[in-house]
Formats: sequence, structure tokens, C-alpha cells
Amino acid sequence: MNRRKTAAIAGVAALGLGLAACAGGGSTGSSGGDENTVTFRSWSPIEQTTQQMVDAFETANPGTTIEATIFNYPEYLVDLQTRASSNTFPDIVGLQPGALTQQYRSNLMPLQDCAASVWGEDWQSKFYPIGIEQARAGNPEGDENFYSLPILVQTVNLWANTELFDAAGATIPTTWDELKATVGQLSGGDYAPFMLPAKDGWLRNAVFLQIVNNVNPGLVYQAESGEDSWTNPDIVTALEYWGKLFTDGIAQEGAIGLDAYPSGANQFEAGNAAMIPLGAWWIQQSDPTKDQSEIPPLSQGMAGFEPFLFPTIPGGADESQFVGGIDVALGISKDAANPDLACKVLTDWIAGEGGQKLVDTMNDVPAVAGLEPSTFTSDKQEAIWNTFVNDWLPQVKYSRYFDDPKVDQAVADALAAVATGAQTPEEAAAAIQAVSDEVNG
Amino acid sequence: MRTKLRQNTTGLLFLLPALTLFAVFVVYPIVYNIQASTLEWDGVNPGTFIGLDNYVRLFQDPTFLITLRNSAYWIPLTIVPQALIGLLLALALNRGIFASTFYRALFFIPAILSPVVVGIVWQRVMDPFNGVFASVGKATGLDWLGGSFLADPDTAIFAVIVVNIWMWTGFSMLFYLAGLQLIDTSVLEAARIDGANSFQTTWRITFPLLKSTHLSLLLLGIIGSLKTFELVYVLTQGGPAHASEMLPTYAFQQAFQLQSVGYASTISVVLIVIAVASSLSMVRVFGAGFISGDEK
Repeated sequence: MNRRKTAAIAGVAALGLGLAACAGGGSTGSSGGDENTVTFRSWSPIEQTTQQMVDAFETANPGTTIEATIFNYPEYLVDLQTRASSNTFPDIVGLQPGALTQQYRSNLMPLQDCAASVWGEDWQSKFYPIGIEQARAGNPEGDENFYSLPILVQTVNLWANTELFDAAGATIPTTWDELKATVGQLSGGDYAPFMLPAKDGWLRNAVFLQIVNNVNPGLVYQAESGEDSWTNPDIVTALEYWGKLFTDGIAQEGAIGLDAYPSGANQFEAGNAAMIPLGAWWIQQSDPTKDQSEIPPLSQGMAGFEPFLFPTIPGGADESQFVGGIDVALGISKDAANPDLACKVLTDWIAGEGGQKLVDTMNDVPAVAGLEPSTFTSDKQEAIWNTFVNDWLPQVKYSRYFDDPKVDQAVADALAAVATGAQTPEEAAAAIQAVSDEVNG
Repeated sequence: MRTKLRQNTTGLLFLLPALTLFAVFVVYPIVYNIQASTLEWDGVNPGTFIGLDNYVRLFQDPTFLITLRNSAYWIPLTIVPQALIGLLLALALNRGIFASTFYRALFFIPAILSPVVVGIVWQRVMDPFNGVFASVGKATGLDWLGGSFLADPDTAIFAVIVVNIWMWTGFSMLFYLAGLQLIDTSVLEAARIDGANSFQTTWRITFPLLKSTHLSLLLLGIIGSLKTFELVYVLTQGGPAHASEMLPTYAFQQAFQLQSVGYASTISVVLIVIAVASSLSMVRVFGAGFISGDEK
């Protein structure tokens, strides 16, 4: 290689190194900006609802501006990480409890003082217990701060198409054997008796958490923390029952290749399935603020749908357990240009006029008790709403999330492997245990 | 000496904008990635230097090995059929058949559609419960059409490859059409006068004269294959159980879902090495002027 070439390569390398502004540095975080403007970025609530919340706040607080941007969830993760690294962190951000909140903890301010200043010292009593518990999930030992506060909560559960059930003379199953019998009773039509859109890891995990908590309530979280083992026979049993959804012909053909949104949800709403595992948020299909003529008949006032809990498992708990938690939480940047204004926006959206706009759309269940939609479009819709807010949410004890994303992914991978026959339940449990060992050191 | 220096300075000044863009948008991200690949880092909080540990872990990672296997499937199984079908379509349309402009646009439409839209539509087409293929299969007795192509770990990657071929064949066709327009018709005329039939003219005259088009498509195909993301993400999310995972989808999952930006950077560095090595190998074998058609 001649000297000129060597010099050119050295020059490019030196330029590159000079330009490389140190990967691996922590973000210093700086929201900056106008003191009367609050920036908000999230994946939820949906854009139209967010705009109503923004309008409500700006009308009540003349001179203030909220710049809101809503993304799809994967894009939002990229945006948030990029902004944290480039010191353009928004004033208010949408968060999920656990791993996501913990990743950005150093960019967030504790919110308990903000909450106490608006709602009083007993502010925690306004929220459903599971929301308060999950808001601090993953905090380092001794750190009792709230870096995010829930705005929407939910249960994960099953939904039935009551028109198909009625037509077949079927009843809502409450046990595994009844589920199998009901699927048999509903088979043979041009719809899926049990539509399982299992392509999405989040949905696989949500269904599994309902099964495993019905087998041995709470055990899976002990396995996650290292107090018990993933190879515990009860967890293996839960994996077996997950596998039976596929091998016993309960789920439709090709379930592991179907996504929940848009495919599974569209088919369920179109009447192509009698049951589907989703969650409380399905009630948003009957949004009272929408032009009702644009809503599919089954969804109008929830006419054709009814929620129910995942059936009990033989040898497991006597009653189905409630699994759920925070849908969306909000955090405030520790470098927000005007933390007081950001606090005012956040608390308004959780329990004020903005929150009312959110609840009016039935986007999901509000994190605080007592907020009700201004209008219901049917008695059935109101009854379902009351079931969620009065009966189910207060009883939710078990989280629909794992705290660590690596464990979450390991469970999702193991469930896919069991569903496709690539692993036995025992092998899948051992694979999760291996990741858990790595995570727990 | 001074004149030469002035000439060089002028040349360098002309190159400066391009060099600046190259440094900022190519050199800087590569160096940044290499540095990040030596860290255990979530992309937000301070990282920890771990030397080459990420590389050691990567080459023991079964999912990474699956991504390499899938790339090895993807490159030949997309490039060859796309080129072959594209060439046949181009040859047919180049003969001025009826409504050739319409067909040209029709075949090219998939290439300009969003991969997200294509993915959602094909997922519904291949849904074994009530997709189009399943319905056709039921109606015709061809039951295999109702197979769980996207849900079976043994077939998922090939199902995605088929959709990719459907999407990008029109692009190859357009390249070949452009190449065919550049062929001197007198050469083809001379071959015909010498008694060559259509097949011989195509195989012995047209095909060799399209060498630069073949090679351009090969290079673009290799690079495109290595950075395939959207279609795989929408159709299978790399599943089931990572069976259709590609290097970019795995890097995305590590960086943004598992908060392992350091490890994702390691995957990206390997991706860069493979892409650069492939490109340099082609230049080495076919010569630097292979795309323009110049001799070595």
C-alpha cells in the first residue's frame, strides 16, 4: 500500500473518530423551550382523543399550548430513545410500567409532589390499587418515587360474540372443559369458535398470564424474581394448557401467524369469530362520541359483545383470576421548561376535564375511580363499563407485564415454540429459566 | 508545483460537499456503531465498556445464526427469480405487445406500494382460516393452498420470500427494459440475417449484452436482501420463534424492545461487514466498471 493510500485511510479514520461523539454516554436531557408550551409524545391515547384532551386544556387555560405527537408503538420507542440521546426529551411522555419507565427513569421527575399538590396527601386512594402498585415496578430498592402515573388501566380477558353464542345455544365457558365443549358446539360454521391472534408476543404473554395465574395464582411473578423456578411443575402445566389451545383444536388454523391488530380485531368485529382474547379496551369499539352509523352493528353499544374471564384450569384455582394493570402511564421530564404547567396538564388528563374527554371515548378504563363517560349508547354498554370499573379493576392483583423485557421476550419466544411444536413445555420452561438466570445474575 | 497544488485545491473544493456528507452520514454512524458495539448499553443511560464480549455472545447466539441462514436463503431465492421473471416480462413487453404500457405500469405497481400495506394484505391472503388462498383451495380441492405458510417455522421465511419476489419483480423488469432499449438493434438484425432464431438471439446476443443490468440487479439485490426489514416485520415479526428473523429485524428487537443498543450495534457492525465484503467481492470479480458496462 503506498503512502498516499495509507494517509487517506488514516485521514478517514481520524475524521470518523473525531466525529464520533461517544456512544454510551448518558443523556443529560433538556426539554427547554417556551414556558407556556408543553410538548407531549406518546403512542396512546389515539390522535383524535388526544386532540380533544389538548383542546379541553387549552380552552380552560388560555395562553398555553400543548404540542402533541402520537406514534405507533414501535416508532414511539425509536423516537423516545433518539430524543433522550439528543437532549430533546418531551415535557410529558407516555410510558408503560416496569422496563420502559425504568429505562428513562434518569430523565423523569418524581411525581408524588405534583400529585399531592393537586389531589391532596391521600391522592393514591383515587387510583385503582394495581395502578399504584405497577407505577413503581422495577424501582431500585429504597426508591419510593413515582416516575410515572397511570392514566388508563385495563384487564386482559376474553370477549364473546353473543349473537353467535345465542344462535348456537352456547353459554359462556367458565372452566377449561366447558371451553373445549363450547368450541366443539360452535364449530362447523363459517367463523372461528376461538380466534387466537398469536403472532404478537404481547398477546401470547397476556393469554399465558391468565392461564398460569389460573393454575397457581402469583407463582409466575415469584419465578420472575428468582424466588421460584420457571421449571416449577405448575408453570409447566400452564405451558401445556397454552399448547393445548393449538393441539386440541381450540384456536383457529394458523393462529400463530395472525396479528391482533388489525387482522384479528377486524375479523372479530366483523362477526368472523365467537371468542377472542383481548382486554377491557375492546369497549372503545363502541365509542359514544363517534358517529354511531359508522360503527359496525356488533359494536354499537356493545350490542354483540360480552367480556368474560379466562376459564379455570383443572387442578388450579377455583375461580378465574383477574390479570391486568396499567395500559398507559405518563411521566414528566426532569428538565421540563415549566414543570408546574406540565404537572397541571398531566393531572388534568388523568382526572380533570382532559380525563373526562378521554373517558368519554371509552379509550380504556380510567386509572382513577369515579370518572364516568358523559353518555352511554346502550344499557349493555353501561353494564359492561360498570363491570370493569366496579367489579373487575378493583380486584386485579396480577400484572399483565413482566418487569424485565428480556424475560418478557423469553416467555413470548417459549410460547411460540410450544405453539409450533418446536419445544415441549418442559424445554420451553427451561429456556425461560436460562434467561431468567442471566437477568437475575 | 504551485499550479498543480492550485489544481488539486480546486478539485478538493469541488469534492468537499460530497466528502462532508459522506463523513457525516456514512463514516460517523459506522464509527459510532463500532464504538457502541463494545458497550453494554441501553441507549439512554451510561454504558459500560465490555470490549469484544458482544461479539463473542453474538457468534454463540442461535437466533443470530438463524438470521445468517435466512440471509443465505433470501439472497439467491429472491435475486434469481426476480431477475428471471423480470427479464421474461421485459422481453415480452419490449416486443411492443398490445397495451404494453399498461402492463408495464401494472407489473411495477407492487414495487411502489408501502411494504406495510403489502404485508397486511398478504397476511390476509395467506391466512389459513379464511384467507384468499384457503378459500381458493376449498373451492378447487387444492387443500395445500390453505396451509399455515406464515405460521409454520419451516415455511415462514419462504412465504415472506415469495411475497418479496411478487413485490420486486416489476423493479427488475424495469431495469431490464431500460437495458434492452440500449441494445443496438443492428446487432440483433445481423443475427437474424445469419439465421439465428428468437431463442438463439435472446440467449446468445441479448442476454450477454445485458451483463451490466444483471450485475447491477445482483448488487442491489444483495444489499437489499441484507437490509430487508419492513416486509418481514409486518408479515411475521421475525417469527414464529425467530424462524424468519433477518439481521435488521433482530437488531431492531434488541435495540428498541430489549433495550440492548450495544448488542444491536454489534449486529449492525456484522451487517456492514457482510455488505461491504459482498460489494468489494463483486468489484474484485467483475471489475469496478461493471455497473456502467465499462471494461475492467
